[in-house]
Amino acid sequence: MTQPAAAAPIVRRGLLLCAVALLGLAGVYVLAIAYTPVEARQGLAQKIFYLHVPAAWSALLSFSLVGISSALFLWLHDPRLDRFAASSAEVGVAFSAVMLTTGPIWAKPIWGTWWTWDARLTLTLFLFFLFIGYLALRAALADPAERARFSAVVGILGMLLVPFIHLSVYLFRTLHPQPIVLKPSAPSLPPAMLQTLLASFAVFTLLYIGLVTVRYGIALLEEAREAADAA
Amino acid sequence: MPPDNGGYMVAGYVVTAVILVGYAVVLWRRSRSLM
Repeated sequence: MTQPAAAAPIVRRGLLLCAVALLGLAGVYVLAIAYTPVEARQGLAQKIFYLHVPAAWSALLSFSLVGISSALFLWLHDPRLDRFAASSAEVGVAFSAVMLTTGPIWAKPIWGTWWTWDARLTLTLFLFFLFIGYLALRAALADPAERARFSAVVGILGMLLVPFIHLSVYLFRTLHPQPIVLKPSAPSLPPAMLQTLLASFAVFTLLYIGLVTVRYGIALLEEAREAADAA
Repeated sequence: MPPDNGGYMVAGYVVTAVILVGYAVVLWRRSRSLM
């Protein structure tokens, strides 16, 4: 049985990480607005890039780790892996929400449209809905063993979309630009833009770790409450 | 001369802060209610 006392330090550690990461996010805002140059053709709207790209990175990282931990869960049957997968999926949905709102806000002044049904955007939207379904499935199943097994299968299937999304700009004709950092050749950005983008990647990754840690602690607390109610 | 579209940047930055800070606050409140 899970003890609430064991979960409290995990939650506190996660909240501390979140606070540091959110302060870091404020720093990224300052860097992006005051330090990076204004792109000549896109204007100030291009600065959404410093949030949109790291949010996409964090979302795809979250969902990849859901798939990996789900596969390991089916193999090892360790409840910590299921708890981590559930936590990473929920945090991934939050980062996807950032990616799917900042994307259209950036697209409107540059492409002239909020949305286009090309491969990258459509697959990303499907991934978001798939993990909304993953969370709905978890909420619908009362039996913990059944919930963990069924949701692990959905988590693995969701992870399979991630490489297609990353490679979609090479595989299909699309309006979405190609990668400028995660690509075989060196990143193609001026130093101030690259430094700010890398700082933002670090902050979003730290925020991912903080949010998942808090969510993992909450899962422990919920299990403890369920066990207490059942006793 | 770059286009005048700063409003889109502000909207993107506000939406990001609302989602991420809002989610962190929701998690904090959930953890408090369980402890």
